[in-house]
Amino acid sequence: MQGADASSKAYAALMRGCGGVAASVVALITLAVCFDVVSRNLGLKPVTWVNEVTEYALPLATLAAAPWLMWRNQHVRLDLLGAVLSPAAQRQLDRLASLIGLVVCVVMVWYGMAVLFDSRAAGSLVMKALVFPEWWLFVPVPMGFALLGLECGRRVLWPVGLTEATGPEH
Amino acid sequence: MVWWHSLLMLFGVLTVLLLVGLPAGFAFLAINLVGAVVYLGGEAGLMQVVRNGVASVTNFSLTPIPFFVLMGEVLFHTGLAMRAIDSFDRAIRGVPARLSVVAIVAGTVFSAISGSTIATTALLGSLLLPQMLKRGYHPRMAMGPIMAIGGVDMLIPPSALTVLLGSLAGISISGLLIAGVVPGVLLALMFLGWIIYSAWRNPSLAPPAEPEPTQGWQRFGPLLINVTPLVLIFVLVIVAMSAGWATPTESAALGALATVLVCLAYRSLNLGALRQALMGTAGISGVILFIIIGATTFSQILAFSGATNGLVAVVKGAELAPWMVMAAMILILLLLGCFVDQVSMMLITLPFFMPLVQHFGWDPLWFGVVYLICMQLGLLTPPFGMLLFTMRSVAPKEIPTREIFAAVMPYVLMGMFMIAAVLAAPPLATWLPQLLLGK
Repeated sequence: MQGADASSKAYAALMRGCGGVAASVVALITLAVCFDVVSRNLGLKPVTWVNEVTEYALPLATLAAAPWLMWRNQHVRLDLLGAVLSPAAQRQLDRLASLIGLVVCVVMVWYGMAVLFDSRAAGSLVMKALVFPEWWLFVPVPMGFALLGLECGRRVLWPVGLTEATGPEH
Repeated sequence: MVWWHSLLMLFGVLTVLLLVGLPAGFAFLAINLVGAVVYLGGEAGLMQVVRNGVASVTNFSLTPIPFFVLMGEVLFHTGLAMRAIDSFDRAIRGVPARLSVVAIVAGTVFSAISGSTIATTALLGSLLLPQMLKRGYHPRMAMGPIMAIGGVDMLIPPSALTVLLGSLAGISISGLLIAGVVPGVLLALMFLGWIIYSAWRNPSLAPPAEPEPTQGWQRFGPLLINVTPLVLIFVLVIVAMSAGWATPTESAALGALATVLVCLAYRSLNLGALRQALMGTAGISGVILFIIIGATTFSQILAFSGATNGLVAVVKGAELAPWMVMAAMILILLLLGCFVDQVSMMLITLPFFMPLVQHFGWDPLWFGVVYLICMQLGLLTPPFGMLLFTMRSVAPKEIPTREIFAAVMPYVLMGMFMIAAVLAAPPLATWLPQLLLGK
């Protein structure tokens, strides 16, 4: 079972890595916004792109955190039936929910790619403080949902086993 | 399709998906995908779901959320929060139900630093609850105040959910943040009054056990050292926002940086704690924002299917007295609050409520504060109040869950009283923002 062990470790690292990316994005935008407001109030040259980059950081952080949160069972869900069903039935219900989640992810990846290629083919540009191809903004969508779909699929096929100790730690 | 068929279908499917245990974010996305095919023109609609999803969270008005959450997380993971509780514990002496009073006072101060209600409740619960139970406090006297004050966290800025409400409902975010202060503090005072009164009337609820008396510097010194900086951070955030130096986002980022610097000054910051705080922030903000990915499309589908206009027109046409509409809205919020989370509540109700607020000419800030108190009660009402779960996870196993439900009830009633008070006296909500922001 060493192979399975190694792959589950690698998978855990991948999921934690997603969380790490989201956390790093939060750290970077905190520093950037502080730098911007302090330098502006000190009368230094304002950094015009900070607000914009902070905005773009939010979907990136959200979509990076989503697979990690799913893996840790931290997404908000209604646990109404969980309280009355037997553990076995609960597991089946969780598999059903994960399957619906997987379908949502597949559709989001597909149409995320469609939007991305569409925008690229049209050569759309974002022209605010920064000028860059619009399709860059859509890159996190297929990536985030692919990873999220991976976790949903994992839950459908191997309902138990890989998930780290669950429940919010806060 | 007739509008109310669409309405029933959309909310029916949403309910089923939530019942199956699908995370709320997925449930909204699933509805959006189906709705996009039916109402938004198939392929084009599905592509719109993606574009809307990115656009919903690419929003500068949402950026205070991670910063506000970070403030609290830094405070909790560095242990500074614990030191502050300890300082209150030394300073507050000679009152009935002393530890419950400590919980309310410390909780109120944390509310002013932390943007996350769950963190406040979990910390107070894990720290003060064991002490209270050991000293023979009645479980209700011990748990009730901790959950109640966790809910107040949502009203007192910084508050992630207030930012979200402002952003989704199109209400001034700085105005709404400041408007929560007075009702929040009043609620905390009411809780204090209730705790002291019930312990005075029935001392067995909280057997008095004064620790060694402390005097002078020994008593108040730690408070000065450990709590003053926290209060100053709160003042910094509010002043930066109301004096126009910084937008809510920027004040929030400054607050987060200030919190990190304060922890550094107290030598309680290390890389491990900072990492945990950042991961915690990414988690809590991620949970909120993931649901928001579906927000724009969901409200568009409600609009395109005619459900929004249909329902709003029926309410307008029914010529109900405004107070009846308001009462119905509050009832819906309180009912939803028993079952769904706060972010989903906003997604479900705001598309219908905001046009009515405009129709009746209500002050959005006033309505916003009423909405916030309703959401706060949603954190506390059985069976699915988030803070009840938080308390369940920190309370000893032998305390039955129904005891936790019972513990919170007096405070839920006080919250309802506060709703009535704000309805009857709008200045409770609007006076402070008018004073500070001139709005």
